[in-house]
Amino acid sequence: MDIVEIRHLKKYFKDGSQVVKALDGIDLSIEKGKFTVIVGASGSGKTTLLNTIAGLYEPTEGTVIVDGLDLSKMGEEQLTVFRRRRLGFVFQGYNLIPELTIKENIVFPLELDDTRPDAAYFSNLVHLLGLDNYLDACPHMLSGGAQQCAAIARALITKPSVVLADEPTGSFDMKTTQNVAGLLKMTAATFHQTLVVITHNLDLAQLADRVVRLQDGKIVQ
Amino acid sequence: MKKMLSVLAGRSFRACRMRNLIAALAIMLTTILFTTVTTISMGATESMTLTMQMLKGSRSDGDFHNMTAEQYEALEDARFIREYGMRMPIAFLANTACHNIEFDVLDSVQADLTFCMPVHGSVPKAENEIVTSDAALRDLGVKPEVGAAVRIVFTAHGREYQMDMIVSGWFEATSEQISMMWAGTAFRDAHPDIFEYTYDRDRDMAGTYYSDFVATSTVGLQENLDHWVWQMGGDPDADNSDNLSATINAVTNPALEPTTLLLGAVITVLFVLCGYLLIYNVFDIAVMQEIRRYGLYRTVGMSRRQVKKLINLQALWLSCVGIPLGLLIGYFVGKAALPYMMRTLSSSYENVAINVNPSPIIFVGAAVLAAFTVFLSTRKPIRVAANIPPIEAFRYAEAAAGRKTTKKSTAGTSLFRLAWSNLGRNKRRSAFIVASLSLCVILLNCIGIAADSVDIEKQVSYSIRTDFTVVNALSKNILEGFTRREHGLGQEVIDAINAQPGVNGASAIYKNTLDDSDVTYGFPVEFDYTGTDEEIGIDYAGTKDGIVFNLGDDGHALCNVYGMEETAFARMDIQEGEADAHSLYGKMVNGEGVLLGVVSSDMGSSVLNPAFDLLDVGDIITVFKNGEPMMELPVLAKAALNGDDIEIRYTANGPFRVGRDGLFLYLPTSVYTEVYDEPVIYKYSFDVEEEQQDAMSEFLQGYVTNVDPGLGYASAEETRKDAVTTRTMLQFVGGLIGIIFGAAGVLNLVNTIITSILARRHEFATMQSIGMTARQLTRMLIWESVYYAIGVCIVGLLLSVILAFIVVKTLISGIWYFTFHFTLVPAIIVCILLLLVAVILPVIALKVFNKGSIVEKLRVAE
Amino acid sequence: MSANIILQTRNLKKYYGKGETQVHALDGVNLEIEAGKFVAIIGTSGSGKSTLLNMLGGLDTPTSGTVMIGNAELSGLKEEQLTVFRRRRIGFIFQNYNLIPTLNVWENIVFPIAMDGQKPDKKFVEEIVGLLGLEQKIHSLPNNLSGGQQQRVAIARALASKPDIILADEPTGNLDSRTSDNVIHLLQMTSQKFQQTIIMITHNPEIAQLTDQTIRIEDGRIVG
Repeated sequence: MDIVEIRHLKKYFKDGSQVVKALDGIDLSIEKGKFTVIVGASGSGKTTLLNTIAGLYEPTEGTVIVDGLDLSKMGEEQLTVFRRRRLGFVFQGYNLIPELTIKENIVFPLELDDTRPDAAYFSNLVHLLGLDNYLDACPHMLSGGAQQCAAIARALITKPSVVLADEPTGSFDMKTTQNVAGLLKMTAATFHQTLVVITHNLDLAQLADRVVRLQDGKIVQ
Repeated sequence: MKKMLSVLAGRSFRACRMRNLIAALAIMLTTILFTTVTTISMGATESMTLTMQMLKGSRSDGDFHNMTAEQYEALEDARFIREYGMRMPIAFLANTACHNIEFDVLDSVQADLTFCMPVHGSVPKAENEIVTSDAALRDLGVKPEVGAAVRIVFTAHGREYQMDMIVSGWFEATSEQISMMWAGTAFRDAHPDIFEYTYDRDRDMAGTYYSDFVATSTVGLQENLDHWVWQMGGDPDADNSDNLSATINAVTNPALEPTTLLLGAVITVLFVLCGYLLIYNVFDIAVMQEIRRYGLYRTVGMSRRQVKKLINLQALWLSCVGIPLGLLIGYFVGKAALPYMMRTLSSSYENVAINVNPSPIIFVGAAVLAAFTVFLSTRKPIRVAANIPPIEAFRYAEAAAGRKTTKKSTAGTSLFRLAWSNLGRNKRRSAFIVASLSLCVILLNCIGIAADSVDIEKQVSYSIRTDFTVVNALSKNILEGFTRREHGLGQEVIDAINAQPGVNGASAIYKNTLDDSDVTYGFPVEFDYTGTDEEIGIDYAGTKDGIVFNLGDDGHALCNVYGMEETAFARMDIQEGEADAHSLYGKMVNGEGVLLGVVSSDMGSSVLNPAFDLLDVGDIITVFKNGEPMMELPVLAKAALNGDDIEIRYTANGPFRVGRDGLFLYLPTSVYTEVYDEPVIYKYSFDVEEEQQDAMSEFLQGYVTNVDPGLGYASAEETRKDAVTTRTMLQFVGGLIGIIFGAAGVLNLVNTIITSILARRHEFATMQSIGMTARQLTRMLIWESVYYAIGVCIVGLLLSVILAFIVVKTLISGIWYFTFHFTLVPAIIVCILLLLVAVILPVIALKVFNKGSIVEKLRVAE
Repeated sequence: MSANIILQTRNLKKYYGKGETQVHALDGVNLEIEAGKFVAIIGTSGSGKSTLLNMLGGLDTPTSGTVMIGNAELSGLKEEQLTVFRRRRIGFIFQNYNLIPTLNVWENIVFPIAMDGQKPDKKFVEEIVGLLGLEQKIHSLPNNLSGGQQQRVAIARALASKPDIILADEPTGNLDSRTSDNVIHLLQMTSQKFQQTIIMITHNPEIAQLTDQTIRIEDGRIVG
């Protein structure tokens, strides 16, 4: 089953008098439960693609359907709720809210919905990512890698349809990169999560089930 | 979710102490602004009202007169009355020297309402106990102390009474001419003969009941009173009935003038603007610094409404800190400033009372206004935080160059060019800072111009034509005036003055009184209607334009007639007819005519007011005595009258009660004394040589205090001082507000500089690593700050000039004692100060906030 | 110092803290770099390479030991002198480019020269610009450039003042592999063309292989 279906997607930006064709006709289907990596040079459109899947960008042309929902038919508020419940995010940089504890950070999307986490699922997730001892700590007390693990937990807490990660290991050295990449893959696999990751790190790309290569806004082989 | 929002808000609140401090400070400053002004204006109003009430002698909402005992009892049932006092007048004491002492029976409520409660001692209980003022006691030859014995003599119902009473208590006199002495109900019960009701027969007040009351509400009070009087069998419209009547105390509930309201509205808008510019910027900066956080929230699924709630919550908490603090500080600043301000007003009024109570209106009003300003200022920043597309928020770099992507010039690397391009990062913010500081410059300059424009000499020349003038004290009381022969000046005073060194140009001024109703005047003016003033028993006639003349015994006009020496004539402002004072005087002495005075169209102007300009030069005025024509006086000249010509300074009550609206006739003393049987001097005006003027002031002061408290005097110097105090008051209040505005503007600047430095630390470290020295960095920031200051100077000076001529000049030209005088000095001074501050601030800010080695700062994550 | 050695350190030490928990970031580093060489200093994170770079660039002061560039000894210089020294004789390339956002490409490139109150050698700067392929972007502001382009501007800036040495701190860390290759080749080329000494620190051995010389650092010491 395809959890993400993208047809003829185009996203153009206006830069003064010029038109930047960030995405220039993308057809893409992402299978549920699989780990997909999107690679490409800087400026190839990978971040734009990710953000469009997340409903953060409105397509200039084409359709994006996530888990059966046609994003173009949804209003701003609906998209926000969609992101809250159906998507998980992991970013390269600023990920956690500094004033909240790790635990509070993880359950944040649920809190926005006034929902309680499934206790068993929560402790499972936390244990898998090695965060058991850090739940009451504040983010700045953790290493970069551990913080990213917390972000991964947050991304997964709502049992989303898709987990999106934009250069999740970008600022790490090799060892941490390997650790985090491994955990990401394993956790996603354990919970049958669909994972879409943007990276230029070839090691991370090797862990994927599928590699999508972008160049100049188009998919290439 | 609500709990989480408040947890989030609370934690981030605690995390950014500096920012929250500045935000709270900004809110506090705004609140101080509102509170100070509310306190001062409420305090001033209260104090002025109290002063007027003391002048009038009562702080009630109204009073009833001439009631029978039954009518008095009935007051208990009046629902519109909250409390009422009992007053049973007896008579004026006969054994006084020069002080007037009214003897009544009062109860405590009445005494309290009319400022007669004893400050020392207690209220009278026994039948021989009385309470009165220290001035009254001294006048009766008794030292003011509790337990003193005093003898009183008075007449009631045609019988003379002589009694020995004991002082049970006393208070400080509020008037120099008249005081109340009162006994308690025990006295009334012991002397039923005094309190026999005979008013309907002989208008003897002894035996009647009076009552001052406090209303439950002043709304519809007049209707309530009229209805009550009518119910009790009286006629509310009858001016002089033999039944009860009631009047509202006008000084307790003065009407609110539209100009005051307008001024209040303008000031409120100005203050809101000042607060807005500051608070908006503070929140805008705060939101922008946290923009990535909001981007994260929004990406992860926080709705717009939730984001708004979050920030609103923080704004609320900040207000809960800032507003109460501001209320407190503002109140005390206002309270401290009030006596100073009232002192400047006190030279216009004797015995000004200073009174400011922490009325809830002050606090509620200021708090509401401050809260409103906070609300208004935070709308836009909150909306931006809530609506920013999450992606932009994430990529937002505070220090980015905005929307531009190219920059044509290639010359940008000198320090001051660098600084200039940095200002372009956030144009709106820069504009707000410049606006906020410019407000201060403009305001202070406008106030400065207004203060400078207070035309002192104009005020002096309106109030008094000589260096000194002496009158009966009643003339100086704005509620009284010179109306009777007994108010005239005695020869002793004049002799005493003439005995002093340096006196010259002196002239006694005679004036007619209500007692001179046998002398009247006929002139070619048509009367449309007649009537009678019941209260003083005078008939009057009016023209179709509503100019009213009081009439004498024979039905002709009484007029206001003055007799004076040639020296006095030489000082008058002759506008038409015989211009030469000497030949004019010569003709008048020969009985060839009279000088007609006409009120000027505006104070300080020499233009005759057309509404009162009823006769032409050459018109004949016929003098009637005892109904027979006595002489014919053609109008030889017309003069524009100032305050000194009419009564003294700004009072006009005396002439109003005698002649009403006119005519004002000026005759030589010799002619005057011919016409009037008992001519009375009402004023003695004279000049004094420069070196002797201080001595004369002292002499007059001493004379009034020790010899004859029934006198009053005015001097040019005194008027000059009053005018100066008006100017001082303007400077003071305006300066206070201007300083608060300045503080707000500087806070804005400080906040911007500090956050700019904090946000750019990484950038600074970069620049320092590739070769910018610390000194160059400091210079660059100084330039940035100075550019703001220069912007303020340009905008401030320009707008100061424009507003001076468009706004200030227009406002001022409506007020007679201002003469527009342009100046830019205040603006320039503030600009110079600002430039200094602009240079110093970045230096300090850098030292405090740019600490740490280059390496540390380079590592700081953006 | 022999004529060829442009940079030299003697027993360079940098310690943080005291007692038990004292960290020996640099523990006696002796280094000699020949002029005109493109050198890589490689080590894992925590090896002290960043600290070493900061010492070499005069951005931080050593606990003991000396750093000499040309004939100047850095430890003797005060803050202000050090800054002036840096702008004339050292060029920096950072991992996150660190361009000044309000200045366009040209202005960024000549920034250090301008801070010195000098006029840039226009011909030379234009040559660099051409070499780095930045002619079209001369008037652009940094926010209009891709990561690779920004790094090229940073390289140009480092070159423009003809410094004794250029220090590059993980210059390709934020770039994808194709752009990374591009940048390294540019560094190589400029090093050769202008006889420019470039010292680059990295954790990536593949990149290090593209340089003239690799120096390995571990636990604050040079090894191998």
